Amino acid sequence: MTPVRVMLVDDTPTRSAILEQALRDQGLTVVCRLESAQGLIKNVEVHQPDIIIMDLESPDRDTLENMTVLNQHNPKPVIMFSDEDNSQIVSQAVQAGVSAYIIDGLNPHKVKPIMDVAIARFREYQALKKELKQTRDQLADRKIIDKAKGLLMKTRGLDEEQAYHAMRKMAMDKSKPIAEIAQNILSVMELLSP
Amino acid sequence: MIGAKIEKKALKLGYMPLSDCLPLLVAQQQGFFAKQGLNVELQQEVSWANIRDKVIVGHFDGAHMLAPMVLASSVGLGGLKKPLITAFSLGLNGNALTVSNSLHQQLYDTNKDTFEYAHTLKQLIQQRKDHGLPALVFATVYPYSCHNLQLRYWLGSAGIDPDNDIELVILPPSQMVDHLKLQHIDGFLAGAPWNSVAILQGIGHCLLTGADIWQNSPEKVLAVTQEWAEENPNTHHALIRALYEACHWLENNAAKALPLLEQYLSLSSPLIDQECLVPAITGEYVFSNSEQERKVPGTLIFNRLMANFPWLSHAQWIADQMKRWGWLPKNIDCDELIIQCYRPDIYRAALNHIRLPTSDYQENINNHNNS
Repeated sequence: MTPVRVMLVDDTPTRSAILEQALRDQGLTVVCRLESAQGLIKNVEVHQPDIIIMDLESPDRDTLENMTVLNQHNPKPVIMFSDEDNSQIVSQAVQAGVSAYIIDGLNPHKVKPIMDVAIARFREYQALKKELKQTRDQLADRKIIDKAKGLLMKTRGLDEEQAYHAMRKMAMDKSKPIAEIAQNILSVMELLSP
Repeated sequence: MIGAKIEKKALKLGYMPLSDCLPLLVAQQQGFFAKQGLNVELQQEVSWANIRDKVIVGHFDGAHMLAPMVLASSVGLGGLKKPLITAFSLGLNGNALTVSNSLHQQLYDTNKDTFEYAHTLKQLIQQRKDHGLPALVFATVYPYSCHNLQLRYWLGSAGIDPDNDIELVILPPSQMVDHLKLQHIDGFLAGAPWNSVAILQGIGHCLLTGADIWQNSPEKVLAVTQEWAEENPNTHHALIRALYEACHWLENNAAKALPLLEQYLSLSSPLIDQECLVPAITGEYVFSNSEQERKVPGTLIFNRLMANFPWLSHAQWIADQMKRWGWLPKNIDCDELIIQCYRPDIYRAALNHIRLPTSDYQENINNHNNS
């Protein structure tokens, strides 16, 4: 049995590398990885994939959609699961930010496991990105708070705990995040400094 | 009915960053949604396919959508089959055909005396064939779009076969100008502001506007699923009233909306500035950056001429053209499809306080310049 040939179109190379590995682990062949749809149609002709997995954030999706109305000599992709009953998996895919196009002839039973892998990897990547952003934000917040604290200690003659306490009280009174209060302090001090 | 209980207050609407998404932006900024008791979140999208999929799976309550997509999705062309409907047209016109400077020069050299560009293009295509030159490449934005149908209609009017005499490709609007500059394509038919961007940068020359092909043609609509419309009739009415008010406001205040439009559209492309937004909206349409004398009035119509009414005759034209090119399955009853997708009855119910047309069909529908 020949392995299913997959083509990936994703402008995030890290994510498509992760997905490629996961698909290979399932015994599939990733025939081509593109970062944009530049030369997409040509690549489809050259690599003859059975399924194309595409990042939903790619504006090039409409270019690929055109192949659904194109003439016979090109492979004819059909957006996944034209079958109405599969709307749940479509919803999951849309949520995860991934879309897929099946080329005529691929057994629909083979599609679901591929989509499951793609959805899982895209989700994982989303979660990783969110986590990274949170960590970055927290780090940035910490820096701002420390800087504002230092400034208060210097200008108001407070010790570290008093400075932090003053900011925290203000944050609670105004029901704003302490990082925002710290940023305001820094902005005001900058304005007032000669 | 005005004052009827709204089924769903918090709505998410999708749009593509184009000049004709303005009614949605204005309804939000001017508080017209809020006035109707709606709390709307607008979400910008990168492809029409995303818009369609997100409406179909319910991530969007509704969206700014290409009119032919409503029919295409209802019969399952190019994707999931789910009945979509529209009861509100977001405006008329806005498209234009821009060609590379070199193609424009060739057209001009082929026939200096006439503005019958389609027939001149036919001649040019024959000449290129005789000389063994590659086919000309034209781009539109989506297969099931008014752009594609207009271009094919115009080519067909001169006996050019769009499937064999030229190459037709699909590109995102924001990439048209770059591809024209890089000579990947010889021309494109797209909506505002992309023609003006190409023209003002001196990269292309506008041959004609969509209005030259069909005066006051349908373009984008507010699309929702039939299911959603059935579950949320009062919300749907409120949405239509808010958008109607936005379109009405735009008719008299389009210039005031330019900064808002620039703010939203420039998120998607650094090529967009206020200058390129002016021609299609307020000012006069400029056909080339060297030919100042050829100007026509602004092309987008937001509200006047009953621009927001979902004319069955619009749907009829779209269905006829889709049938003409063999896109609709043979067993489809076009009349049934039209009535299913276009819902003037909902428009009438939502806006019973304004002047409404007596018929659901526009009489001068066949007033096409090239027919």
